Amino acid sequence: MAEVRYYDIRCVRGEITLVDIDNGVVESAGTSFFDKAVIRVLGSKGWGILTRDHVDIDSKREVESLVEAASRLAAVTEDHLDLADAPRGVLPVPPLKEDPRDVDLEEKTRLLAGVEEAARVAGVGNTRARYTEGIDSVRFLDSSGNEYSYEAVRSGFSVVAIASRNGVMQMGSERDHITTGFNLRNKQDLGRKAGEVAVSLLDAKLPKGGTKRAVLDPELAGVFTHEAVGHASEGDLVREGASVLGGKIGERIGCEGLVIVDDPSLPEFGFIPVDAEGVAVERTEIVRDGILSSYLHNRETLAAVGDGVPGHARSEHGAPPIVRMSNTFIENGDAAYDEILEECRDGILLIGSRGGQVDPGRGVFQFNAEYGYLIEGGEKAGMVRDVSLSGEILSTLHNIALVGDDRKMSPGYCGKGGQSVPVSDGAPHLLLENATIGGRGE
Amino acid sequence: MNGEDLIERILREGERRADEVEVFYARGLSVGTEIKKGILGNAEESEAWNMAVRTVKDGRIGFSATSDPDRWKECLDAALASGRLATPQQWAGFPKPADLTGTPSSADGDLVVAVEDAARMVGDLLSGAAEHPVEVVGGGADLARSYLAVANSSGIFYGMDRTVAAVSLEAIRERSTGYEFDASPFLAEIDARSVGEQAASLAARSLSGRDIETGRYDVVLSPVAAASLLGQVLLPALSGRNVKAGRSFLADKIGDQVFDERISVYDDPFAPGLGSTAWDAEGTPTRRLVFVEQGVLGRFAYDLKTGYRYGEGSTGSAVRSGGEPPGIGFHNLFIDGPRMKEPGDERAVWIHDVVGAHTANPFSGDFSVEISNPFWIEGGDLTEPIRTAMLSGNVFEMLAGIGGLGNDARRVGRLTIPSIRLNNQQIIGK
Repeated sequence: MAEVRYYDIRCVRGEITLVDIDNGVVESAGTSFFDKAVIRVLGSKGWGILTRDHVDIDSKREVESLVEAASRLAAVTEDHLDLADAPRGVLPVPPLKEDPRDVDLEEKTRLLAGVEEAARVAGVGNTRARYTEGIDSVRFLDSSGNEYSYEAVRSGFSVVAIASRNGVMQMGSERDHITTGFNLRNKQDLGRKAGEVAVSLLDAKLPKGGTKRAVLDPELAGVFTHEAVGHASEGDLVREGASVLGGKIGERIGCEGLVIVDDPSLPEFGFIPVDAEGVAVERTEIVRDGILSSYLHNRETLAAVGDGVPGHARSEHGAPPIVRMSNTFIENGDAAYDEILEECRDGILLIGSRGGQVDPGRGVFQFNAEYGYLIEGGEKAGMVRDVSLSGEILSTLHNIALVGDDRKMSPGYCGKGGQSVPVSDGAPHLLLENATIGGRGE
Repeated sequence: MNGEDLIERILREGERRADEVEVFYARGLSVGTEIKKGILGNAEESEAWNMAVRTVKDGRIGFSATSDPDRWKECLDAALASGRLATPQQWAGFPKPADLTGTPSSADGDLVVAVEDAARMVGDLLSGAAEHPVEVVGGGADLARSYLAVANSSGIFYGMDRTVAAVSLEAIRERSTGYEFDASPFLAEIDARSVGEQAASLAARSLSGRDIETGRYDVVLSPVAAASLLGQVLLPALSGRNVKAGRSFLADKIGDQVFDERISVYDDPFAPGLGSTAWDAEGTPTRRLVFVEQGVLGRFAYDLKTGYRYGEGSTGSAVRSGGEPPGIGFHNLFIDGPRMKEPGDERAVWIHDVVGAHTANPFSGDFSVEISNPFWIEGGDLTEPIRTAMLSGNVFEMLAGIGGLGNDARRVGRLTIPSIRLNNQQIIGK
């Protein structure tokens, strides 16, 4: 056999339940099954990685033959990696308030139909709601004798409403996902909100693009944190030379008092009890008092780069672990919301998120609000739609003029390297100076 | 039990308990080599197996899937259980065996799924990138072969092979980045060296871009940038499901001149491409579909479910991804039309790619995105890099009045598209 410095195996067996209701029609409501395993071998240089369906982790013979196959892959690699020592340990998984497995599919479908129906307010022509539930049974073992298993349960939904009038079509959407139990009861309010936003957007104006003051609501400020700072602090990007934050530890990248954290141990949607390499998870302060203080690491990037905290390796089932965010947020400051609007005077208030993207090497990011309001004389004025914001990582945090005191986390999914993992982002309301607003209004 | 025997067993067992049964089966082997620190980092091999079952009883469609052959009974039970909750609909049966015409090709007999071959392609990528003074920060090569089959209780059993060779490279020079990629069913079509060289060239040449003032400019979207925006906005608008649900800007516009007369949009499942096939993901024979001809909207795409529900019939447009139920999609979609000599002849802002295309509003077509590797173009040459800016616009309005299409059509996933010149677009500088 080729040289094996280390190996690990991670199996995820589970079920995915989806309910999809489109304009009152139950399009599908059912459960699918998967059983994926990833076997990694660190050879004399780099990783050989195998992905298989349905591996018997308890069969010594099967494990041996997979390790051997992976070691042959590792033999073609050239990039020499080492693994840093890292603390071990598994946190208890937060107890489920109500186990979604105790709720039958019929009731889930009925509850989702209630949310979807609530979105159908006057003026809304189309509504769609999706319930997503994932039950993952995770087992891990490695050649250092570490072994763990846990179960992750996720439950949540999204609802979209589309309003149209005279050929104009606008959308409102809401979502809520949690890891702490069944999450579909008493949620009609969110459906109604999606419908109301869609209808009010019919009369919203397209904002004029340009540089102005912007107030970000906690959800959008969370996406801002994730795109503007989170990705660029990922140790793999830093190691490859693909992040503008490389070599900047100890440098001031934001205003005094600014604290930016990634914390996989928080019982939010990005919670993991242990990372995908069997490393204990802990709160990581990426930025402390405006100074870049930690990168997010796995064992290999910690060994190669240093200056940070391991325990940030995550993977979608059936994919190798890479460095990822979990629950990423800006800590509360002391500005009240009214004070932030007042200080903004004339600018734009941006609410909700349609997602974002970053080019961490160039240090440029873009993200999009669901809607917003002009701010005139410190007061909320007319509604605007289809408004984006872009910025540069190294300058944008200096432009945070006020940090609110009302942090809120929002769940979502983050894509990287073709893998999607559950995360949450959050922040209090933020006031940004010199924000580049993209909009096609004249 | 091999896949074929298991399919038979599920069909027989399912028929006893439902009016109709369908099994979609996929197995595949792929290898990949990833570039780290400018040399070969990880080497990966993946074997995947998936079986998806649909049952129909009294017009109620049930679905489940499994990647574990031992759980096939549970999977069939789950499909039947899900059918009991689905809203019943008009349904006239899964397709019966048909004479499949044409011989689409999306498999390369010469493609071997071997890690050594992928490693050689990484070598070619890196030697291409070495032509410019850049750091290589990512990328890799993948080779894959899969077998897909669809079988149903009406007697269909179609199977096909697919292959994919794919390469990508990401380069950086100071704070200027460049990314290029290519994928094809045919190994011989992939020029890894050239992909590496192009990515490196973008990073090297985009350095020290000059600022641009906010204002209106003529722009040229490269095929990559055009594919990103059209993929997010135009493709969903052509789906019959979105049309019937009132989610498509193009609904009620059949027969209208919706786009510039120089634009045609068609799906050709018989052209060589990543999605070439004689039958769709439900076993319906595929055909060439012209959605837009010289700017006039002609039709939409349907699968069985939406086709039966609205009396439109399937257009053979069902596709699947992973273990999900079939949905409406495209096999090899082309944006085509008469070409202009050189879309970048008169001075314009050339845009290689955009950041954040997925945030475009798919219903209204409005977007504002950050642009990547923008250059001033004149006389067909990229003359000077631009530092950074946003582009705001509306995809449907853009397509209604284009400046012209370039001669440089390329394959971006399942879309084949040329560069598009657009006059008088909104650019927001910093």
